[in-house]
Amino acid sequence: MKLHQKGFLLVELSRQDLVWDYELVARALAEYGVSGRHWINTIRIALDEMAAGGLIERIEERLDDGAHVEAGKVMFRYRLSDFGRRRMKDTGLLPA
Amino acid sequence: MQGSAIAAALEKHYGRNQRWGFIWAVWMAVLWGAWYVPGTALWHEHPYSDIPGSAIALRLSATAVMTWIHAIGVFLFLLLWNGSLGKIADYGRTMIRFRRISKWYALASLCGGPMAIFGSYMAMAYAGPVFAAISSLLFPVVGAVIAALWFKERISRRAALGIAIIIFGGLTIYGPGLFGEVQATQSHAWLGYLGGALSALGWGAEGAVAARAMDVSDPDVGIQCRFSFEVLFWGLLILPAIALFTPIPVRQLLVDTVTNPHALLWIMLAASTHAYCYTSWYKATSLIGVSRTGGIGNLYAVFALIFIAGFTLQLPAWYFLIGLALTITGSFVMFSESADSVATLRDVGESEPREAEGYV
Repeated sequence: MKLHQKGFLLVELSRQDLVWDYELVARALAEYGVSGRHWINTIRIALDEMAAGGLIERIEERLDDGAHVEAGKVMFRYRLSDFGRRRMKDTGLLPA
Repeated sequence: MQGSAIAAALEKHYGRNQRWGFIWAVWMAVLWGAWYVPGTALWHEHPYSDIPGSAIALRLSATAVMTWIHAIGVFLFLLLWNGSLGKIADYGRTMIRFRRISKWYALASLCGGPMAIFGSYMAMAYAGPVFAAISSLLFPVVGAVIAALWFKERISRRAALGIAIIIFGGLTIYGPGLFGEVQATQSHAWLGYLGGALSALGWGAEGAVAARAMDVSDPDVGIQCRFSFEVLFWGLLILPAIALFTPIPVRQLLVDTVTNPHALLWIMLAASTHAYCYTSWYKATSLIGVSRTGGIGNLYAVFALIFIAGFTLQLPAWYFLIGLALTITGSFVMFSESADSVATLRDVGESEPREAEGYV
């Protein structure tokens, strides 16, 4: 069975040091076989929630030139925090 | 140029998250307040209207029966919500990870279901409805303390002040009624106080416990997990236990409820407001944190009185206006925090310490 959405995003972040949100969005869309604005927003909100909770950190930001989501939107480059890694171990997403 | 454009875009981004967090929290309060209309009306329908106030065991069992049917209703409304958002598959994927994730939702449902609801009814029965309402107002304090101790949720002085003003506003609304109640001779008042403490602890703990699971799962999905467990707790454990070990006619209460269209209609109306109240609560929690959501959620005290006044055409006492002014002031104090302060809600030991807001 596939991982749930936030679990999938965290695992992707744990495999790479720094990842741009649009890359994560593209991978999640492919993983779940969905497309469209609704799903892009759903995944971006999930990333915002995890950043607010301190599981992931925003390391860098730049403005979208229209190539990814929408011109003028801010895009974030994320990194899994130590707390996020700890929480992934707590919840079985990473081996303890 | 690029730098200032980014700064403006960032401000807009965080501002939008903060605004949505508070919008969800206000919805939570509005729907919670609206819930009291069908929630109270239900007690005027057969079989509940036939139960005398003195039959405490029967009353509590009837509460268990209505809460179970109510929880099933909430589950169905949430199914509709998650179905329209396309999150049913995510619900299955989250539920199945019980040992590591969904068990926290099971614990949250125990806190918010049997513990808080039973506590609240015990408080109503033994210490009076006003005392019950006041003790529920303290739930954000419990939630804020647990969130601060357990996962180091940051709470700015301004947010703490806002919560305090809102609670004080709630006390102004319900407090004067307490004097009349305390005069009444209550033989088992301590049971009522215990119940009040259980309800504040239960709802306070629920937000904090659920937030732990929500770290790694979706709030819309999480709330559906939480109600799945509540349906199971009442339906497989509590109601069968009451039916087996007491002479209380649980089956009859169930049949009478589901065969009375009026009772069923009130329960389904209550379930619809409750379902989306909880959805708003969990969504707000993931954006602005346990403490702020609880503080704004306390505005339910105001909305409940407004809805009840609207339906019964009985105006609340004059001091309601003072309480109203205080709760509105408290909300604005909380909302006037910088949007940046809700961008990272927790002190996880990696970010730079904040200076502007004076975190406590």
